[in-house]
Amino acid sequence: MRKGLRVPLVEFSVEHPRWVMVLTGLLSLAALTQFPKVKTDTNPKHMLPETADVRRFNDEVERTFGLYEDTIVLGIVNEDGLFNRETLERVHRITTEVLQLKGVAARDVASFTTVDNVTVEGGTLRASPLMPEAPKSAEEIARLREALLGNPLFINRIVSADAKTTAIYVPLEKGANGKAIADSIRKIVAKEKGGERYYVAGDPVARDTFGAEMFKLMAIFAPIAGLVMFATRYLMFGDLFLSIALMMDAMIAILWSMGLLIGLGFPIHIMSSMAPVFLMAIATDSIHIFNEFYFRFRESKDKKTAILETMQAVGRPVRYTALATAAAFAVLLFMNIVPVRVFGGLVAFGTLALRILSFTFVPAMLTFVKEENVERASRGEDIATSRTSRLLGRLASLGARHPWKVVLVGLGFLAAAVVGLSRIVVDNNMVEWFKKDSEVRVADRVLNANLGGTSLAYVVAASPEDDFIKTPEALRTIEGLQRHLERLPVVGKTFSVVDYVKRINRVLHQDDPEYETIPDSKDAVGQYLFLFSMSAKPSDLDNVADYPFRQANVWVQLKTWDAEAMRSVIRAVSEFKAAHATPLEFKPAGIAYFNLVWNDVVLWDMVKGFVISLVAVWVILAFNFRSLRWALVGYTPLVFTVLLIYGCLGFAGKHFDMPISVLSCLSLGMAVDFAIHFVSRFQSRLSETRPAPGAPEGASVTEALVWTAARPGKGIVRNAMLFAAAFSVMLLAPLTPYVTVGAFIVSMMTLSALMTILYLPALIVLLRGWLFERGAS
Amino acid sequence: MRIFRFVAAALIALSLVAGEGVRAQETQSPAAEEIMRRLQQAFFYAGQDFAAKVGMRLVDKTGHERRRSLTMLRLNAKEGRNQKYYTYFHAPADVRGTAFLVWKYPDKDDDRWLFIPAIKLVTRIAARDNQSSFVGSDFTYEDVSGRDLGADAYKLLREEAMAGRDCYVVESNPKAASAFSRKVSWIDKTSFLPVKEEYYDVQNELFRVFTADEVKEIKGHPTAVRRTMKNLKTGHYTEVVFENVDYDAGLEESLFSERSLQTPPAKWIQ
Repeated sequence: MRKGLRVPLVEFSVEHPRWVMVLTGLLSLAALTQFPKVKTDTNPKHMLPETADVRRFNDEVERTFGLYEDTIVLGIVNEDGLFNRETLERVHRITTEVLQLKGVAARDVASFTTVDNVTVEGGTLRASPLMPEAPKSAEEIARLREALLGNPLFINRIVSADAKTTAIYVPLEKGANGKAIADSIRKIVAKEKGGERYYVAGDPVARDTFGAEMFKLMAIFAPIAGLVMFATRYLMFGDLFLSIALMMDAMIAILWSMGLLIGLGFPIHIMSSMAPVFLMAIATDSIHIFNEFYFRFRESKDKKTAILETMQAVGRPVRYTALATAAAFAVLLFMNIVPVRVFGGLVAFGTLALRILSFTFVPAMLTFVKEENVERASRGEDIATSRTSRLLGRLASLGARHPWKVVLVGLGFLAAAVVGLSRIVVDNNMVEWFKKDSEVRVADRVLNANLGGTSLAYVVAASPEDDFIKTPEALRTIEGLQRHLERLPVVGKTFSVVDYVKRINRVLHQDDPEYETIPDSKDAVGQYLFLFSMSAKPSDLDNVADYPFRQANVWVQLKTWDAEAMRSVIRAVSEFKAAHATPLEFKPAGIAYFNLVWNDVVLWDMVKGFVISLVAVWVILAFNFRSLRWALVGYTPLVFTVLLIYGCLGFAGKHFDMPISVLSCLSLGMAVDFAIHFVSRFQSRLSETRPAPGAPEGASVTEALVWTAARPGKGIVRNAMLFAAAFSVMLLAPLTPYVTVGAFIVSMMTLSALMTILYLPALIVLLRGWLFERGAS
Repeated sequence: MRIFRFVAAALIALSLVAGEGVRAQETQSPAAEEIMRRLQQAFFYAGQDFAAKVGMRLVDKTGHERRRSLTMLRLNAKEGRNQKYYTYFHAPADVRGTAFLVWKYPDKDDDRWLFIPAIKLVTRIAARDNQSSFVGSDFTYEDVSGRDLGADAYKLLREEAMAGRDCYVVESNPKAASAFSRKVSWIDKTSFLPVKEEYYDVQNELFRVFTADEVKEIKGHPTAVRRTMKNLKTGHYTEVVFENVDYDAGLEESLFSERSLQTPPAKWIQ
């Protein structure tokens, strides 16, 4: 063997291909036996551990105030108004059926038929469900209308001010599946005829629908992507056997890593469900082996020699690209979020498995391929005759001959990208993961336009002593806070114990609006609340005040799921606290707050991981090239690609959300691969062709660059095309994160391939004095 | 009339559960409706009048408590099934002096009045829903003063021991929409007090359980002096303790008037 670099593993595999097959087969079977144990977990909430402060505090608030983690909102709209017999009968019928659904917390469903209304009629105080039976006469209907629209507690909650929209709030028992219940509710309303329109919204619907759709898409998409890759490969190499071999490489790695994950008892989570597609993508790197094999076979005409020579030539870059990719993902192992760690470990393991396969399974498979097929296929593989190769060579020489122009144009793009980058917003809005015209998003939009808002936050006002909440002072402070919060455009409605006290005060004074105020004594407040607890459902009071009346819970309905909306609420609360002297402390809670924290913790964790990955990849590059300078140059295509894509995101107004943050890691692993292949092969070509050590001649550098672009460059382009082809299928997906993934990867592949072939030569030519200064290769 | 209704219900019950019905007949057990009638007599109508100091402990899932302390007086009408209840609240402190009066009629809506001392106001309260919570506890108004016998259809399921007592097990099925879809009661064969009752919700899931935890005989009337209602869905429960229980103490009719709401009868309220 020439120049020492022997690869015993490859030699063994080529000598005993059958052994390798059997062993691989056995390992895959073992992995397969784990699959029946699979568990899934589609709840993004579980990304934060149960011990996370926000989950603990939210649980505590839910327990203290008897609240539900999840509520589905069923909106019913009748453009001609709700107050007619048919519509009211439907509301009644639908509520009755919804109450029967398993998983629905029937006792706390809020609808016309179940919500308590406290009124006074002819000196008699009445607390009873608004509409226990659907009203029959016009008179009864008029009375119901008056009761609803005359009570501020109901406006924008269960009835819109224009009396065209109502909502049924359906709280779910812990662990109930939001999508399953939403589907049952849809079935119930589908039975109703008439002009009403129905909208099912709420966080559990979006979340569980997304979870279900996601798994479905993965099951459909992963095989389609695999097939497209397979077909593309077949077109590239014209050999069925080789195409299958390449595909098996990916499948085996996926089997092993998923089998290990399941075997270790981890549930498959949103993030880890993406791992197969990632691994399929990473597996395409082995195309460099095939690419080179065809060239070598053409040169040596002997299969075994060609295999061994190929592995010698590409062994080093293949190993380092694997190392870089694995490191980029392994960094995630040190993040805070468990599913992020699992995902990082899973993909890092899969990447390593892929590389072991590249040195064993792939060469073994190559020994089985029929020589005449290779012969036929490799006819096209000549850099002098192949059209692709010639085109690539020309691209590289453009870079090498006009380096300044190329570099300056690139810098121009970069400057623009930085401007775009400064506009990027880190935010996550799960409803927007659905397309604009999807049922989930339409429902959310309609209900937010007509009622107080589908996203719910709580602001808990806590005092240092028992019974403080009953003081007029505390109630006035809370009322002030409510009015302050309602000034925010994202806040649709707030309500609290204050609203009940004011309501009772008014009702006890012959429904005189003058008395819709907070009474002056603590005893009066205590007795009003006692009266309230004697008449309404106990949970009505429990939801807004804790047992010792130390804490009050202010409900804040938000009109958007953007994390930013909750941030503005928290800001407004601090402003209010700063401007008012009060012993009350305010703390945010609820699903909207959870989403905010989730957004900050998970996304920033990913951002942090991304930055650390960048450093890790650079270190590996430096090791690979044994030169910090070459590492820097090899790094540029990656940095350019990432900055340009994020710049575009910034200009497009697209938020940096979870799918994009996951992709960022992939982009690292892939974009750097091309540079590793390019620089490694360029360097070895240069050392093969260069007669004497020292700084090379400009002409020989250019020659080597053009050669690299034409030969391993073809592998790079093939790799990029394969990738882009497979992921472009995702552009058709019904969920926006998948479209994002598709668009992101297609543009990332195109960009980083272009950067490598065009920009790297320009840089190498420009910086060659610096790069080759002292034994820099 | 009453006899007719009773016979009809008994026949229905018999035909519905032929097996159990026949067995019940063989062992000479009273029919389900008769058992429930005797339960109502023993549990809600014992004596001519009744007085007790009642302590309530409302405990939520997290163990937080609210306490209520009240005096409860009851007077049965000389004839018929009408009753009057007077309730005076001692605690919590901010509601001290609040008083509540109920005139109860088995065949129509009750009359109820409440006195709110902070604004010195007596207000009438509509009694539409007897199944709503009694002062925020897990007990409903019905649980405190009894449910109309005609509201449910009854079925004797079996006879078995429960908490060391020989019991009839009777299922009640509301005839109209109700907070519960069915109720299963274990009824002590000698005292006719409920030993345990299970309430099933509209989804036919068990959601409330009543237990009589301590029974004492006072002036010849077995009395459940400690009882608990637990809501399994919310984890909330209410424990009620009766003290200073007295029967036939000679409560006067005039006690149960709007006037004594504003000026509580010191003799009975300690």
